[in-house]
Amino acid sequence: MSVRFRLLLLIASTIILLPAVVVLALGMPAFGAHPLPYGDAINRDAPGQRHISNMVSAVNFDYRGFDTMGEEFMLVTAVTGAVMLLRGTRGESPGAEPEEVPGRSVQPAGEAIVLICRLMLPVSLLFGIYVVLHATATPGGGFQGGVIIASAVLLLYLGDGYRVWRSIVRSRLLHLCEGGAAAAFVLTGLVPMLLGHAFLENILPTGQFRDMLAGWLMQIENLAVAFAVAGGFAMLFLEFLEETRAPKGEE
Amino acid sequence: MTLLLAALFVLVAATGTGVVLSRDPVRQVMAIAAHGLGLTLLFLALQAPDVAFSELTVGTAAVPLLFLVVLASIRNDRKGQ
Repeated sequence: MSVRFRLLLLIASTIILLPAVVVLALGMPAFGAHPLPYGDAINRDAPGQRHISNMVSAVNFDYRGFDTMGEEFMLVTAVTGAVMLLRGTRGESPGAEPEEVPGRSVQPAGEAIVLICRLMLPVSLLFGIYVVLHATATPGGGFQGGVIIASAVLLLYLGDGYRVWRSIVRSRLLHLCEGGAAAAFVLTGLVPMLLGHAFLENILPTGQFRDMLAGWLMQIENLAVAFAVAGGFAMLFLEFLEETRAPKGEE
Repeated sequence: MTLLLAALFVLVAATGTGVVLSRDPVRQVMAIAAHGLGLTLLFLALQAPDVAFSELTVGTAAVPLLFLVVLASIRNDRKGQ
């Protein structure tokens, strides 16, 4: 495609699309207006029905918990596919060495970076666990907390380097976290069915309003999502970082 | 719309333009992280803390890291051949 043709294409598509954009922009609801009734309905009913103060968790783990199960399996499938693609010809031996570019020396991380990483790792882990546990009380939840936990473990790589990271982070444990938590989510949904209720129906008492452990069945689903997301993201980080290791002859 | 929101919209537009205009891949990854941080502040100001949390963890930490690793991997392969 020549530059001239691309410019012509740009001008033609602008002329065709611009009126539509203007019409849409003028037809949008005013800034800050929310004409849909569902948000207000949830805000009105959820505290009384479910006794929890984070409406996003109420929606995610209860009112549309079945959708969340679909999302959970989307994540599992995506991570599994990425792992299969990346690991295909490479193998997974934990004793591999990081690849070095010829002619460029690898500088060890500075003392300040190592110290900050070692200090921040437990703090970040604790914060991730806090976010997971307070899913029904304050903003955040299993997904956000899970990503924070996975990122915190990554500080091992930043501070102590590839070998320490590889010797501590084991893929089998991460597989167990991810797959086991996804299975736990489904089994949690099936328990109410055994007792004659609907799938994922919240049959347990929902506890005190604003209590950290309010929500019961939501708490179990939230924990399952946290484990699945933490395991899935850590697995992605591990597999991507393995792409930078030195290739071995026998694998 | 308050002054804070207007400033944050301008910030998001500016960092987004920065992502498009940066030509060096490594700098572009940093621009993506900066754009994610701007979006996080905007979501926070619009009182959507859950979305802000997700954007902060995924948009400014996880995604830039994966891009950086891919760039490092590509560079290693080229040097080896």
